[in-house]
Amino acid sequence: MQRTKRFHLLSAGRTHPGAWWIAGISLALSASLSSNIFVLLGISAVAMLTVKLCRDESPWARSIRFYLVLGLIVVALRVIFRIFFNLADAQSGILLNLPSVEIDLGFGNSLHLLGAVSTLSMNAALLDGLRLAAIILAIGMANSLANPRKLLRATPGALYEIAAAISIAINLAPQLITSLNRVRRSRGLRGSSKGVKAISGIVIPVLEDTIEQSMQLAASMSARGFGRRETHTKSVLITRITTFLALTFIVAGVAMLLISNSTQLVDLSVLIIGFVFAFISFKLSSGRVIRTQYIVLPWRSGDAVLLSLSAAVIMSAFGGLFSR
Amino acid sequence: MIEIKNLTFSYLNPDGTQKSEVPQLSRVNLEIYPGEFVLVCGPTGSGKSTFLKALNGLAPSFTGGVISGQLLINGIDYLGHEPHSFANLIGYVNQQPEGAFVADTVLDEIVYSAEQLAMPEEQIAIRVNWLSNLLNLEHLLDKSLVNLSGGQQQRVAIAAALISGAKILLLDEPTSALDLDGATEVLAILKKLANEESVTILLAEHRISRVLGSVDSVLVVHGDGSVTKGKPEDQFNDARFAPPIIELGQRLGWKPLAISNAEANKRWIEAPANFEKLGVNQPHDLVLKAEDLVVSFGTVQALKSCSFELFGNQITALMGDNGSGKSSLCWALQGSGTRTSGVVSVLGQDPKELSPQARLSLLAMVPQRAADLLFLQSLADELHESDEYAEVPPGTTASNFQKLAGRIDTSMHPRDLSAGQQLALVLSLQLVKDAPVLILDEPTRGLDYAAKRALAKQLKNLRTTNRSILLATHDIEFVAMVADRVLSLVDGNLVSDESPIDALGAGSSRASQIAEITATPGLITIEQVKQ
Repeated sequence: MQRTKRFHLLSAGRTHPGAWWIAGISLALSASLSSNIFVLLGISAVAMLTVKLCRDESPWARSIRFYLVLGLIVVALRVIFRIFFNLADAQSGILLNLPSVEIDLGFGNSLHLLGAVSTLSMNAALLDGLRLAAIILAIGMANSLANPRKLLRATPGALYEIAAAISIAINLAPQLITSLNRVRRSRGLRGSSKGVKAISGIVIPVLEDTIEQSMQLAASMSARGFGRRETHTKSVLITRITTFLALTFIVAGVAMLLISNSTQLVDLSVLIIGFVFAFISFKLSSGRVIRTQYIVLPWRSGDAVLLSLSAAVIMSAFGGLFSR
Repeated sequence: MIEIKNLTFSYLNPDGTQKSEVPQLSRVNLEIYPGEFVLVCGPTGSGKSTFLKALNGLAPSFTGGVISGQLLINGIDYLGHEPHSFANLIGYVNQQPEGAFVADTVLDEIVYSAEQLAMPEEQIAIRVNWLSNLLNLEHLLDKSLVNLSGGQQQRVAIAAALISGAKILLLDEPTSALDLDGATEVLAILKKLANEESVTILLAEHRISRVLGSVDSVLVVHGDGSVTKGKPEDQFNDARFAPPIIELGQRLGWKPLAISNAEANKRWIEAPANFEKLGVNQPHDLVLKAEDLVVSFGTVQALKSCSFELFGNQITALMGDNGSGKSSLCWALQGSGTRTSGVVSVLGQDPKELSPQARLSLLAMVPQRAADLLFLQSLADELHESDEYAEVPPGTTASNFQKLAGRIDTSMHPRDLSAGQQLALVLSLQLVKDAPVLILDEPTRGLDYAAKRALAKQLKNLRTTNRSILLATHDIEFVAMVADRVLSLVDGNLVSDESPIDALGAGSSRASQIAEITATPGLITIEQVKQ
C-alpha cells in the first residue's frame, strides 16, 4: 500500500487516545450547538480528513467508512421523513408539489401525508440530519483513531472492573468473527442443509467456541492474579458511590445543556457538581494501591496541540451561541 | 515444594451427582521437589489438564466439580482457594496462547500479572529485564502479539507466567499448536528454566520423545483416577502413550529402558536388530492433477505456482511448517477455498465449478477441527442427516462408521465421543459418496499414540485402488506410520517429492525418532523392527 504524507506529530500511534476522544467530543459538541449548514459540513470534513491523515493500520481505523455510511443514512432518512410527514406551511416558497394523501384515522382525526414541500422545511430537515451526521462523524473520528485497548489502560482505577469487562469483549470480538468464518467454511464441506439445521449448524459450534474462548481468557486472567479481593472494602464502596454520582451528574448536566440549547446557571452547576465528584473519586481510587500501573501512557506535544485545538473549537462554538 | 495428599476430584452432572463412577482424580498422593522437571503424560482424555488445573485452583473454580484433600505449597494448604490468591506462586500456560492473551503488545502482556499483584514498579522493571534476556524477548517487547510466530507467542506466555515471581510453572500442552521449529524453541527454553533458574516445571505434552531426555521424572495420569510419579524408564507400561523410543526398548527387551536418543543409539549400535524393508505401495491411475496452482490473499502469496499429481492407492503426506501454505493448498484443491489461478482436475472435473453436494462424490475433506462439522444432538441424527443429504440408501453412513470405529451407541451426543471417534465419524460422513480424493488437514492434533495408530489403520483401509489420500501435517511420526509419498512445502513452494524413507530417514532434517536413534538407512518406523 502506498503511504501518503502523514502528520507524524498527530499520528494515531503516538497520540494519547484520551486526546482523540476529547477532540472528537469537542467537535461533536460544537456540531450540536451549530445551526449553519456550512459549519456542519466543515466539521464533517475535518473529522474525515483527520482520520485520513492520522490513522494507522489497525483494524478499527477502517471503521470510519461505517460512520460515514451511517451519517448519510441519517441525512437521507431525515429528508425522506420530512417529505412524507409534511407539515403544510404554504406561506413560504414551494420547492416540490406532490399530491397529498389524507388517511382517515377515525375519531375525526386524519393523517396528512406528502403534499407541497416548502424550501423552509427542506432546509430544516437537511440541517437536522447534517447536525446528527456531523456528531456521528466526530465520534467516529475518535473511535477510529484511539486504540480502545490503550484507552482502557488509561482508565482510572475506580472504573477498573468496567474496563476489564470491556477489554474481554474487545478481545473476543475478532475471535468470534474468526470462528464464524472457520465454521462456515467447514460446514460448506458437508454441504449446506436447509432451514433451521443450516442455522444451528453454524450457531452451535460458534457459540461453543465463543464460550470456550471467554472461559479460557477468564481462567488465564484469574491464574495471573486478576480479581484479588481488596482489603479496604469500605473505601471501595465510597469510591464506587462517588464515581456513580459523578457519572450521573455529568451525564445529566450535558443532557440539560444540549436539550435547553442555552446556557443556564442550573445546567452549568449540575455539570460542575459532577466534575467535583469525579475529582474526589479519582483521588480516592488512586490512593488505594491495589495494582501497579507499570506502563503509563505519556501525554506528548501532539496531545497538547490536539487539546488546545479542541479548547478553541469549544470556545468558538459557545462564543457563537452567546453572540446570537 | 508441592505436596499433594489424598487429592480427589470429580466432575458433577447438573443435578449434583458425580459424572462418572470413578473420580477423575482419586486419592492422589505425591510430592514434587523444588526445581524438578516433571513430564505429565497419559492417554488422551485421561485428565492431564484437570490434574494441572487442580494444582493452581482452576479446577474446580473454572471447570466445576468437587475437590477434596490437601494441596500444600511450601507447607501452606491452598486447596479450594481461587487461582488469583496464589498466582504469585504458580504460573500457568495453556495450549493456545492467543486465546489467553489479555493485552495487545508483548510488554503489556508480560507485566499484566505483576500489575494485578501490585508489584512495585522498580521490581517489575528488574524482572522484565531478567525475563526478556532469559527468553530472548528484548527485541520483541514493543511488538504486537498477533504478529508473532507461535513459538514466540508461547515464549511471551511463559514470561508472563513467571513475572510475578512464581517458581512453579504449569504448562498444558504448550507445543500442540506449534510446528517443529516452534516446539523446539519452547522446549529449549523450558530446559533452560529448569537447569539454570531451578524453576519447578510440570509439563503436559504429546511430543514426549522431544523432552524425555531432559526431564527428572514422569507423572502418569492413568484415566482411572490414579496418578503415579517415577523415573522416566519405569513409567511407560501403558502402550497407549509410549513414544517410539520406549516402544523400541520394550520390543528389544532393553533393561533399563533408554530414555535419551544418545543412550538408545549406543544400545542399538551394540546390538542392532533386524528390520523389514518398508513395503512399497504401487500407485494406480491418476486421480487428481493440479497445475500452476496459485493462492494469494491480498498482497500475500500463500501458494506460489504448485503443480503435482495424486494417484489412486496412495497416501501422500504434505509436510511443511505453520504458515507454509498447507491449509491454503487443501482448500484450493477442495474448491471452496481461494484459488487465484491454476487448474485443478479430479477425474477430468474441476471441483470449483461443482455444487457442494456434487463435490462430495469427487472430493472429501476433513478440516483441522473436525468437530466443526458436527452439529446435531445425537450420533444417529448425524448419520441419518448424512444419508439424506447425500441421497444414498439409509444406513450407508452408519455402516461406513462402524467399519472405521466399531460399534458405538448411536444415542450418544457427538461431542461426547473421543477425539479419535469424532474423526472417524467425520471421515464416514465425508466419504458417504465414496469420493476418489480424501484430504485431511492436520488430523492428528490432540491424539495420543494409540489414537494415531488407529487412525493410520483406518486410512490404510480407506486407501483403495481408485482413491488417493492427501494428508497435510507436520507430525513426523504419523507420516512415518502411514505415508507412501512425501511432498514438502516451504513458503508456498513445493520443494520436494520423495519417498518416506528419503524424507524421514536418518540424516534428514525431518528424521523420525527411530531413524535418529538407529541411524540406519531404510528404517523409519517401529513397526519395521523385528523382535
